[in-house]
Amino acid sequence: MSSLTARQREAAQALRASVNGARGEHYWRALESFADDPRVHELFPQLRDMGASLDRRAFLKLMGASMAMAGLAACSGPPSDRIVPLLGRGDGAPPQRSLFYATAVAVAGEVAGILVETNEGRPTKIEGNPEHPLNAGATDAITQAMILELWDPDRSQTPYRKQAVASWDTFDGDAAVLRQTYGKDGSRLRVLSGRLHSTTAIDQAGQWLRRFPGSRWHIHEAIDDAAVMAGLDLAYGRPLRPRLDVSHARVILTLEADLLGDMPGKMKAARDFTANRDPTTGSMTRLYAVESSPTLTGANADHTFPMDASDIPGLVDALAAKLGVGLQSNPDLVFPALDAIVNDLKMHIGTSLVVAGRSLPAPVHACVAAINHALGNVGTSIHYLPVEDIESGAGTLAGLVADMHARKVDTLLILDGNPAYAAPAMLDFAGALKKVRQSIHFGLYRDETAALCDWHLPSLHPLEAWSDLRAADGTVSVQQPVISPLYAGRSLHALLGGIIGDVDNDDMARVMATWKLSGSAWDEALRRGSINTAVTPTVMLGAPRVAGTPSAMPSSQARSADAVDVVFRPDATLWDGRHANNGWLQELPRPLTRLTWHNAALVSPSLAAERKLANGDIVELRAGKRRLEIPIWIAPGQAPRTVALALGGGRWRAGQVGTGQGSNANALRHTDSPWFEAGVQMIATGRRRELASTQEHQAMNGRDIVRASTLDAFRDNPSFARGKPTPPSFYPDRSPGEYAWGMSIDLNACIGCNACTIACQSENNIPVVGEDQVRRGRQMHWIRVDRYYTGQPAAPRTFHQPVPCMHCEHAPCEVVCPVGATVHDSEGLNLQVYNRCVGTRFCANNCPYKVRRFNFLEFSEWASEQSKARRNPEVTVRSRGVMEKCTYCVQRIESAHIEADREGRRIADGEVVTACQAVCPTKAIVFGNVADDATAVARAKASPRSYALLEELNTRPRTTYLAAIRNPNPAIEGDA
Amino acid sequence: MTRVAILPADHVLDLVLNRRPGRLWAASFAGALTLTILLAAGVVVLLVRGVGIWGIDMPVAWGFAITDYVWWIGIGMGGTFISAALYLTRQPWRTALSRYAEAMTVFAVSVSGIFPILHLGRPWFFYWLMPYPDRIGLWPQWRSSLSWDFFAITAYLIVSVLYFYMGMLPDMAALRDGARSRGRQVVYGLLALGWRGEARHWQRHRTLMLLWAAVAVPLVFSVHSMVALDFSVGQVAGWHSTIFPPFFVAGALFSGCAMVLVLGIPMRRSLGLETIITIDHFEKLARLMLAIGLIVAYGYVMEVFTAYYSGDAQEIALARNRFGGAYAWVYWSTIGCNSLALQALWWRRVRTSLPALMVVGILVLVGMWMERFMLIVTSIYRERLPSSWGMFYPTLWDFAFLFGSIGLFLALFLLFVRYLPVLPVFELRQEGETP
Repeated sequence: MSSLTARQREAAQALRASVNGARGEHYWRALESFADDPRVHELFPQLRDMGASLDRRAFLKLMGASMAMAGLAACSGPPSDRIVPLLGRGDGAPPQRSLFYATAVAVAGEVAGILVETNEGRPTKIEGNPEHPLNAGATDAITQAMILELWDPDRSQTPYRKQAVASWDTFDGDAAVLRQTYGKDGSRLRVLSGRLHSTTAIDQAGQWLRRFPGSRWHIHEAIDDAAVMAGLDLAYGRPLRPRLDVSHARVILTLEADLLGDMPGKMKAARDFTANRDPTTGSMTRLYAVESSPTLTGANADHTFPMDASDIPGLVDALAAKLGVGLQSNPDLVFPALDAIVNDLKMHIGTSLVVAGRSLPAPVHACVAAINHALGNVGTSIHYLPVEDIESGAGTLAGLVADMHARKVDTLLILDGNPAYAAPAMLDFAGALKKVRQSIHFGLYRDETAALCDWHLPSLHPLEAWSDLRAADGTVSVQQPVISPLYAGRSLHALLGGIIGDVDNDDMARVMATWKLSGSAWDEALRRGSINTAVTPTVMLGAPRVAGTPSAMPSSQARSADAVDVVFRPDATLWDGRHANNGWLQELPRPLTRLTWHNAALVSPSLAAERKLANGDIVELRAGKRRLEIPIWIAPGQAPRTVALALGGGRWRAGQVGTGQGSNANALRHTDSPWFEAGVQMIATGRRRELASTQEHQAMNGRDIVRASTLDAFRDNPSFARGKPTPPSFYPDRSPGEYAWGMSIDLNACIGCNACTIACQSENNIPVVGEDQVRRGRQMHWIRVDRYYTGQPAAPRTFHQPVPCMHCEHAPCEVVCPVGATVHDSEGLNLQVYNRCVGTRFCANNCPYKVRRFNFLEFSEWASEQSKARRNPEVTVRSRGVMEKCTYCVQRIESAHIEADREGRRIADGEVVTACQAVCPTKAIVFGNVADDATAVARAKASPRSYALLEELNTRPRTTYLAAIRNPNPAIEGDA
Repeated sequence: MTRVAILPADHVLDLVLNRRPGRLWAASFAGALTLTILLAAGVVVLLVRGVGIWGIDMPVAWGFAITDYVWWIGIGMGGTFISAALYLTRQPWRTALSRYAEAMTVFAVSVSGIFPILHLGRPWFFYWLMPYPDRIGLWPQWRSSLSWDFFAITAYLIVSVLYFYMGMLPDMAALRDGARSRGRQVVYGLLALGWRGEARHWQRHRTLMLLWAAVAVPLVFSVHSMVALDFSVGQVAGWHSTIFPPFFVAGALFSGCAMVLVLGIPMRRSLGLETIITIDHFEKLARLMLAIGLIVAYGYVMEVFTAYYSGDAQEIALARNRFGGAYAWVYWSTIGCNSLALQALWWRRVRTSLPALMVVGILVLVGMWMERFMLIVTSIYRERLPSSWGMFYPTLWDFAFLFGSIGLFLALFLLFVRYLPVLPVFELRQEGETP
């Protein structure tokens, strides 16, 4: 490509866009029609000579050109800038097969430090950066799925002007006009961006505001912590962000807060929380969760209290009063456990933590700040960070839309946002946009907003661009590109620089300049993925003003008997909908509902019974003029009269994967109260939509599948989970091999976040099957996370259990395969030989753990070049008609073998890390050689909590579990 | 209606050589052919798209295809049993039924053989189940009952085809001799393998048939025991049961008898065979069916008993699930068709009423299909981990294969009725000679 002229390159980019835009039959038709396209002739002059008659030679030439054009879509390699891998020798070293680069991405409202594995220059997998303080090697599902986003063929590939393919040169011309128009007075020029995590971008925003005096910068995130910051503003007189340090908290009370599921710093919170819950040490952090809709935090809590959203501020009032910081108590409150919780908190001054979620209103946050102060937690388990000026000074979306309607905005630049979808529908952003003379959309996709804007500019993917990102704890990471841009996009920094006229710097220079780094310090920052010195100091604060504000939730409104509360929640995988075109995330079961591909209104079992609703019944929710039709899903643990809606569904221009999946909860959101709506009418429509859940049955039916106990009972009987001694078997024991691979999964540590499932999907090239196939029970995940409820449906206990292949020593699958396609190896792996498999499926029927997955149809995607480039080259892609399942990441075991053999040593403990193990935020999964008593996995299996699933079948699984231990407060009745 | 020939044997030959097909035959054949074309279309779609066109899923990885397979091979069993076992036990009344029952066997086994191949994820590699020398030294996995099954079906198919064909040799010669057109003379002549009716031929033929019968009868039992082992070697509760082999053999005989009834009654009427196949024959068949049906019912009872007697939670849960779970209607339909409706046969009036026998026969066929579906699907849709429970919902293609296979079977049978003697002519002659 480097030999092409600039003009040719542009032609190639435009062509590439049209090639990639076409699908299926059109794809080939598109290629044929190219013979007449003048741009093609520019690129391939020899085509011009061929004329109409296609003799054999001409045909071959044309074929060659077609191949070249098809290849355009995928030809990309490492970026031309010098980037530094985590390990290895950097420049001059021979190209290695697989390299890891440390970088960072901003996802789900926080920054994740990641390692990107590249194979021959192609990024194929994302794992957590072990040196990043927040991640410590772990990642969540969304972050990992960004590798699929990078290779998404639906990504925007070229600029569009008035919905027609355009070029960056044209835009640069328009930008020059912008500079002239607004150079003196920028008041009619507005920018709307998401939250800026990049210091370089924040600096550029400052430059922008100076370059265009009077211009305004608006920030909008559909999922933000505005209420938290406003509450701390009430308490301390300035907007702040809390930084939680769960490692110091021995008693935690969460109020509508999904500490482990969707709050910034969730990875670290989960890790610290689990680290303090080792029952063998004799003490465990105790977690109380009050929530209107079940969360991962509630699922892992020792006590979970479902409570209607409108009642929670009243509980906070009462709590504050008991702790002597509130002004008023709440006589109406019925909450028997309150005294026990207050006593527990009081006994842990300085080592407790009360967390309020983003959906609670600002006064509640102010009150909670006072509570934490009273409990002495400030400075130990909770710290406060300042908010960037650009953020505290930014305008809101509502303000922007009002100005747009008032025709005060001539030019609007929308950076990386999709307000046409993600803004509350009542704002009518689309209508306001029509009153803007020139609208410019910059983003990864030609989405709903792009379709309404005059200009659409493709942005680079975070894995293609330089930047810097500040995480929730203040850690700054360098974001380095791991591949040169696949398409004609620009980075945010280049775009802003281009418009304000700062064209001399490239992005790397900009980032280096921001942090004043160069030479070996820069290399070290790239290698490690973070800039050590750049941690934001926390703010030292005095006592908060005692808030004591009466509950701002409209709980005082007389609630009519048939009205319900509605709360809005980020989708566990789609977040605010921006990941809707990501097949992995669409198909990843949501942790508690196990729903895929479609969101639902979560209703409590009692409400469903009262309204005679069943799963999948479509209801209409009405709040004033706002309406939403959505199927319901009955969620045990949902507060009786609260309906929870996940954002992120109902995209209408998401792409091939995400368009039309789910219902758009933004239709019901109110600008002033984006998280909560009281007095909503719920009316059954009589229609149904079958939802695709991966788990139809919720209870264990009295079987000891997840073994669990309490801390007190565990102390009395530590080996309660141990089963009977292994019974004898007719089958001879296998002769031991060099290693005996095995796995132990700690159910006390597993929080059910699903990161393992996505890690496995990414590592093992597991296909996405689509909603219809999931409904048929044909999802392909090799490791699934089962979720079981015990107790009363109104307030159940929830347990998660990851289930990969058990690698049984006496595997029932092996004996029934007529062709020997599933066999045992000398190291105890139960192997699946894909190219021998004929697909009888007897093995799946005979597997009691149901971990086998079958390619009922051609599930692997072959259509796009991108999907081929994205795959792990170490793992076979399975064709239809073939059985597959967890291999314990045999490719990683083999790599370790090769490495060890080359160095003439044994494989060390911890050298083989399975994909699921690597990303687990709580280190619940341990893998290694069980034959060696010194290994971590052997020690885990020696734990009294260790047990085998369905041990009565004598399959002798190599994957075993550690029983879950909860630590309920003995002073609270009935919930132990 | 055809005129009744003076001698039964001549009438049977006459049916093949002189009778033009009636409207009834043509309409039936057209219907059967339509269904066969549906099956063919299904096969094409299946090969192009994969077994995912069916409703099978995880956990129910086996559905209609295996049900159809077991059902057809069970039906096939009846023919061989009636012909060979009654031959060995010298039951003279079998003559009237043996030929078309053997034909039924051959066609049913052939149709059944489609399913285990097509149900494979990659059907084009079905021959990997065979031991054949290859360069990488791969061999079937002998511990798998599916390997055994492959041999059992193949052996059974070969033996039943040969038994059918050998038995027809003298009749082929008779057809050759009676044929007037050159084409027929050549075809039947070739099929007759040079049969000249010498005493030596007759003597060898008798010995051969005796030997084949002796080979076929144990195979009848082995093949169906083998089919049962396809399930009972698994660890799945509901499959893992020692009663399965005899239970399956009984079930197979049961459905085989029912199919002989269901085919025989209309055939007898439309071909004017009332004097040869008498009510008495059907009455005997009905008695046989009743006896076997009681064994099958005993199997149902014992399944429930062993489930509870085992004390295994999963076995008990499964039994309860069959009684009251999502597929309870299948269970109770099975019991209703196979065990309750059958009790009507205690009455001689029912056994001698052809419409009643037809109804019972059809009910048994339906019931046996339901039973196989029940055994397969209800055992695996709710196994030991509740997280992985899931329903099976058939697709239209599932039904296309079921009805298409019935169409193929009927088409083959209708061709048989038209081009081959539906009764053993030489045996009828022998009977005629020895009053």
